[in-house]
Amino acid sequence: MRVSLQEELDQLEAAVQEEGELVLRALRGALGALERQDVELADEVIAFDDEVDDSYLAVEEGIQSLLARQTPVAVDLRTVLALLHVNLHLERMADYCVTVAKLTKLVAGIPHDETLAEAFDEMGARAEEMIRVSLDSLASRDMERAESLVDLDELIDRANRRAVKQVIAIGGDEERREWGLRMIVVSRCLERIGDHAVDIGEQTAFLVSGEFREFTDASH
Amino acid sequence: MVNTEAEPELVRIGSVEKLDFSERERTMPPPESREVVFEVSDLSVRYGDSTALSGVSIKVHKNFVTAFIGPSGCGKSTFIRCFNRMNDLIPTAVVEGRIEYHGQDLYGPRVDPVEVRKRIGMVFQKPNPFPKSIYDNVAFGPRVLGMTDNLDEQVEKALGQAALWDEVKDRLKANALGLSGGQQQRLCIARCLAVEPDVLLMDEPASALDPIATTRIEDLMHELKRDYSIVIVTHNMQQAARIADMTAFFSVRVEDEGKKRHGVLVEYDTTPKIFTHPSDKRTEDYVTGRFG
Repeated sequence: MRVSLQEELDQLEAAVQEEGELVLRALRGALGALERQDVELADEVIAFDDEVDDSYLAVEEGIQSLLARQTPVAVDLRTVLALLHVNLHLERMADYCVTVAKLTKLVAGIPHDETLAEAFDEMGARAEEMIRVSLDSLASRDMERAESLVDLDELIDRANRRAVKQVIAIGGDEERREWGLRMIVVSRCLERIGDHAVDIGEQTAFLVSGEFREFTDASH
Repeated sequence: MVNTEAEPELVRIGSVEKLDFSERERTMPPPESREVVFEVSDLSVRYGDSTALSGVSIKVHKNFVTAFIGPSGCGKSTFIRCFNRMNDLIPTAVVEGRIEYHGQDLYGPRVDPVEVRKRIGMVFQKPNPFPKSIYDNVAFGPRVLGMTDNLDEQVEKALGQAALWDEVKDRLKANALGLSGGQQQRLCIARCLAVEPDVLLMDEPASALDPIATTRIEDLMHELKRDYSIVIVTHNMQQAARIADMTAFFSVRVEDEGKKRHGVLVEYDTTPKIFTHPSDKRTEDYVTGRFG
């Protein structure tokens, strides 16, 4: 039994899970700032991204060092490769939270249209759930649960399409139009977080089965 | 003149050549066109009453490096010795089952073991040059077999193939025991090659060598497999991962509450498969260092 290798793998995986918790905090912050038009909280979310980036870099360096010294194979190799990808997906999710926070700041003081609040509420809750499911299924090596992310993603995609329709319906007033256009990007960010959660699920499936496959094919 | 009636030409994104980074698998011939050198069927080896290895079936392919890995006592060295009938030299050894070499029964009654060992050369763990000159070491096999025409050329060719010529060409008459360990091992490889064999068997050929000399032997195997089929036993898993096209994992089966132990073949597959996603849990446990 290679004790040090197993310990290092466990540490890396724990670090990735902690990074996931940071992303969830960033997401909740970004959604709260958006909902309450809280510019101060938006700034906090933007600054908080440094924490996620630090975690991302630490995991990245840990993996590099482990690969150089331990030459993992078989399930160990698959774990390392999966963590390498999951780490990047989490970092990208946090970046989307930053974008939401920045857009929140940009629209501060512009008249809002309340019709979208409900849509963002739903999308935020779904994105949070998807991050949770992706991290849990990775931890428990649960391929079935990982694959359930596809259905969850469909729901967030639909909510995104609805939000876009609502923005298009705003029309008229220039300021409200600017707000609406920026909100399309917010909607898109939340939708993309869902996509990254599905990608994490695909890594879990690779780790378990040894074969990489995309859960859904973009061409269909 | 522009024909405004014509349909606008569609701009296509075009197809893309598929990328394939698995050089080892790309350079491997497809399974159906791989020539079989050895076909082993249900092979067992006993030393007296004690079974060393049982029930092994495997195909060894031409121009491949085939590695046998496994823990101590799994029978991998016993197995490789069957391929050139080295076990014949052990009085109590009994080989059962069948090994076909290019379709011919290797243990058939009319097969001459000396002829077998000429075609199927062997390199051992510890370099074992004769206490003779470098030249005489390489010329030994051809002289014994009466292949003495153009002996100088044969010696140069064999030393060249073993990547040793440049280092020894000015001191061919010097004693081989004066060479470094890595050079001695390459000399032993040259000695094998001088009789123009078909297969090279290597039993832990680099385990007594330092990392630089080991790398040279591994590079050499990569070169030699163009002309020869190579079978190697190694306890260094990373070495198998680096050099082998196919890898066979052997393990120890314990029976009768630990009183009986013998080697079995667990899994035989392409090396990338063995080291990324082995089919058998025992292989996975061994290659990841969780067992053995």
